[in-house]
Amino acid sequence: MLDALFQAAVLTSVAAATIRISTPLLLASLGELVAERSGVYNMGLEGMMLMGAFTSYLAAYESGSLWLGVLAAGLTGALMALVFAVLVITLKIEQIVTGLAVNLLGAGLSTYWLRSAFAGDGKTPTIPFFADVPVPGLSNIPVLGPILFDQRMLTYIAFLMVPAVWLFLFRTRYGLIVRCAGDNPKALDVKGVRVAPVQYAAVVFGGLMAGLAGAFLSVGQAARFVPDMTNGRGWLAIIIVIAGLWRPYPILVAALVFSFLDALQLQIQGVGIAIPYQFMLMMPYVAAIVALMIRRSRASAPARLGVPYTRE
Amino acid sequence: MTDFNLVEWRFERRLDPRPAARIVALAVAAAAAALVCSLLFIAAGASPRAAFAALLQGSFGSLRAAGETLVKATPLIFTGLAACVAFRARIWNIGAEGQVFAGAMFAYWLQHNLTGFPPFVQIPVVIAGGIVGGALYAGLAGVLKTRFSVDEVISTVMLNYIIVYVLSLLLLRGPWSEAGGFFEQTPKVDPDSALPLLFSGSRLHFGFLLAIVTAGLVQMLLTRTPLGYEIKAAGSNIRALEVQGTNTRRLILVVLLVSGALAGLAGITEVYGVHYRLKAGAITGYGYSGIIVAILGQLHPVGVVVASVLFGALLNGATLMQIKTSVPSALIYAIQAILLLFFLAGWAACNFRLRRVARA
Amino acid sequence: MSKIPRLSVRHLTKRFAALVANDDISLDVMPGELHCLLGENGAGKSTLSSCLYGLYQPDAGEIRVDGKTVQLRSPGEAIRAGIGMVHQHFVLVPGFTVVENVAVGTGSGWRLGRAEALSRIEAICSTYGISLNPHQFVGDLSVGEQQWVEIVKALYTGARLLILDEPTAVLTPEESRRLFAIVRRLTGEDLSIVLISHKMAEVMQSDQVSVLRKGRLVGTVVTSQVSRDQLTTMMVGRSVAAPTRAGDAKAHGETVLSVRGLTQLRDRRPVLDNASLDIAAGEIVGIAGVSGNGQDELFECLAGLAHPDGGKILLDGETLQAYSPATIAAKGVGYVPSDRFRDGLVADLDIGENLVLGQQWQARWRKGPFIDAAALDANARTAISAYSIAATGPSAPSRKLSGGNAQKVILAREFAKATRLLLCNQPTRGLDIGAIEFVHRQLLRKRDEGCAILLASEELDDLFALSRRIGVMFRGRILAVLDTKKATYDEIGSLMAGHRSEAAA
Repeated sequence: MLDALFQAAVLTSVAAATIRISTPLLLASLGELVAERSGVYNMGLEGMMLMGAFTSYLAAYESGSLWLGVLAAGLTGALMALVFAVLVITLKIEQIVTGLAVNLLGAGLSTYWLRSAFAGDGKTPTIPFFADVPVPGLSNIPVLGPILFDQRMLTYIAFLMVPAVWLFLFRTRYGLIVRCAGDNPKALDVKGVRVAPVQYAAVVFGGLMAGLAGAFLSVGQAARFVPDMTNGRGWLAIIIVIAGLWRPYPILVAALVFSFLDALQLQIQGVGIAIPYQFMLMMPYVAAIVALMIRRSRASAPARLGVPYTRE
Repeated sequence: MTDFNLVEWRFERRLDPRPAARIVALAVAAAAAALVCSLLFIAAGASPRAAFAALLQGSFGSLRAAGETLVKATPLIFTGLAACVAFRARIWNIGAEGQVFAGAMFAYWLQHNLTGFPPFVQIPVVIAGGIVGGALYAGLAGVLKTRFSVDEVISTVMLNYIIVYVLSLLLLRGPWSEAGGFFEQTPKVDPDSALPLLFSGSRLHFGFLLAIVTAGLVQMLLTRTPLGYEIKAAGSNIRALEVQGTNTRRLILVVLLVSGALAGLAGITEVYGVHYRLKAGAITGYGYSGIIVAILGQLHPVGVVVASVLFGALLNGATLMQIKTSVPSALIYAIQAILLLFFLAGWAACNFRLRRVARA
Repeated sequence: MSKIPRLSVRHLTKRFAALVANDDISLDVMPGELHCLLGENGAGKSTLSSCLYGLYQPDAGEIRVDGKTVQLRSPGEAIRAGIGMVHQHFVLVPGFTVVENVAVGTGSGWRLGRAEALSRIEAICSTYGISLNPHQFVGDLSVGEQQWVEIVKALYTGARLLILDEPTAVLTPEESRRLFAIVRRLTGEDLSIVLISHKMAEVMQSDQVSVLRKGRLVGTVVTSQVSRDQLTTMMVGRSVAAPTRAGDAKAHGETVLSVRGLTQLRDRRPVLDNASLDIAAGEIVGIAGVSGNGQDELFECLAGLAHPDGGKILLDGETLQAYSPATIAAKGVGYVPSDRFRDGLVADLDIGENLVLGQQWQARWRKGPFIDAAALDANARTAISAYSIAATGPSAPSRKLSGGNAQKVILAREFAKATRLLLCNQPTRGLDIGAIEFVHRQLLRKRDEGCAILLASEELDDLFALSRRIGVMFRGRILAVLDTKKATYDEIGSLMAGHRSEAAA
């Protein structure tokens, strides 16, 4: 039966699933990258993603438009990030504790809202989800076509965000300012650039991306919302940023590795190989710990990551 | 220049906030959280008055209800103390959730081989199992931190996810599953291994007493022992502690072991005090709520007990609230988070004061 | 003088709660003038410069630039007014190139404008004779070059008045000379410089000196018309005798500490390079050197905080192997770290608790499983009176201690611990003259008790006053160990700049 795994068709489908599954991880980790480069640890990613998944589902269900759902998710993520920013940047509350509070808020509020919006038998209606959009021409390339160019719109967006974020961080004036805020915020302050607005913008962008990541889970893939459906993906995105050494392209690689583990799990279940499915499900989390163990140094982390800036 | 420009209001950082300001902040946070809750009640189509009344009646309305509130508070006291010990040393053990599982699982592993032994054998084994299981699982995060410098926040969160699957592996057609059972759970445990009830007519069990005594012991540990001294110092300036000859790696490991042991006890009070069988649903959620309880309790054991009883009341009252007003009981988890956020903001805000200053 | 002053400060007052940091200060700086602000630590120099750069807002008074009253509510407004500042602790991003460090936060819009920035930087460098490679990462530059980057940064924003806060504290004598050459080219182009310093040799090169004491302006004088001694008297409020050499201990005994070929690598480059040294009982050996030349690494290896990559350390003839801070302390070694608030004290512990930091498990501070509060209290009372620590009592919080009192708490603890060897890294840094004298007396007392003492200081006065021999560190090496009686300031100074002297023994 193992032979089946290595058949070309199976490999293609694992590869295509890897790309698809990496979408939310990539969106969330690129947003987190920008926030962390500005010096703020957004540990509320999981909660922002979860709320994004819920509001996009609700908005899409009510309006019938999937894109309105995506918009709602982005706004929700951004709004939660704004609250987070007020707490950690202006009031300088411990970033870890605040992030945790945001996660718990996301989990509690989305479940509560779901239950009150769809009271009754406890079943939530499904909605249509995004269909694959084959890129004309490119999707017909053998092997690579179906893997890379027959995906959902949000997936294309996520992959295009990799060079976009790289360009922003390393080739624009604002990107330089964001990186400076993470490495030595005082260097901005003494130039007359206020640090807080820079960090606010970076954190809100991170929240927006987390919201979009959540939208992919509900309206992009599952066609409904299930409580706690993010299932640690927000945390994985944080780990991907670390494993990706705070750089966009290595982050892409790290996101693909984690997604591959997940895609493999789906495939093995489908083929019916006798490995307990729980083993496969815990793989990404075990891999995350291993990834952090073998990482040699923290040298590439922004120097002032997680330290609120106060003048003297 | 107009007169308006001669004075301005400015936020300034206070050098040392007074305790009174803290209490005011706490009250304001509670009021604000209640307000947000009311809005949520209205959004759910219920009258806030009726909902709050149902909450209160469900949690303290009768002796039985009050006992049930303390039953719900018991695991929170343990996980709250777990967070309290670790957070005071600025070690961010977010893994109480997983350590609760580990405590319950380790205790069950030891105890289910002892079925038939008298209570005075089984119950100490259960308690010791909870302590050791929780400590070992937290110790894993400690080793990852001290040997491999893996950040404890991330490792403990990952371990929380992992252990849920491990338990599922053992329960779903695994070695611990109930013979012929359909649910992911163990069979009922030997009644001789159960924690004794304190009163007849109430489910309040020995675990609550254990929690109160433990809170006292933790208080003593934190304020009077060399380890408590090190925890306080580590929370303020761990580098100076290291420079002056304290082995801080060992300290981090010890703190995580103690924290995990406390969390592990929450696992056994639920399995052996309330549900009498091991299943994920019996032990889920206490780890994260414990963190909120610890922070609302100002990282003080007495505060943890008070906050736990409050949260126990919320959890317990929510059921009646759902029946009477059809507000989903899931609201409680949202309320907990909202309370925490307002409290954090209030606490931080009292480090500032609004001062009128003349313009230069 | 008919010209309008570049900077004119009128009746500036700045308070922090009860403390008046700047009290009614008025002064003028003309275009092209090198104006020195002289004062002891805590005299209010930094507060004044922070007000001038918009980091603090004065409570009263007025600041004029080129005759125009300005409101400096932020560094941005100071920059727009034409004021630039070089901070004592550089404000640079090591992972950025020189160009990026200079350009960040300037300009507008999305465009990075690297090419324009590069050409402007090159123009500034050539105008003022600054040599820098704009494409190098700042983290790879020497301390002196980082100073040039800071100056270029300020000039890049169009500064016409430049504040230099203790610019030579981290420079070798050679680099200091280069700095003054640049400063003179700047003033030649009509820029004004405010130089904050307490080094007399530099102060004497300025055009005018304003002396601050305890927040007040003692006076502004034309430098060429005063002597060093007059300035010192103005600064301290009394005349100070030149540091006298304390007599040697009657006898110094057997070798306590012996360091042989100690080497430590960081990023494959040696930060400690084959350093060797001996200290005998009852002897103070000084370590001179510009900061950052391996002193901290030497002390950290000796205190057990870091492990050397080569060489060995012998304590009382016994080689230290796989040692930790605790095992070293247990052998009777005390360590006074250079950053006392980071490494020496725990702010949330009270004075009594800080006095037993690291000894919390020892039986003498315990009663059964508990900490013996009475023993801590008695110990603290003794220390507070013996070291005249200004505190309300043993349970006074440590976070409010002044630098001098914090140092006294550390000395009390470490002196009690040091029965064989005392390691003192920069024990007088940032202290006022009274506290410095106190530290000197205590060190001599400890020496006379027969303790071996290793003393590093950036103040040569400390070393000449106290030590029997002085070792000079440069780039991780101990270039020479000189007999203090035969050594001169010039000789030590030239060794600090890395020039090997023939006289070195």
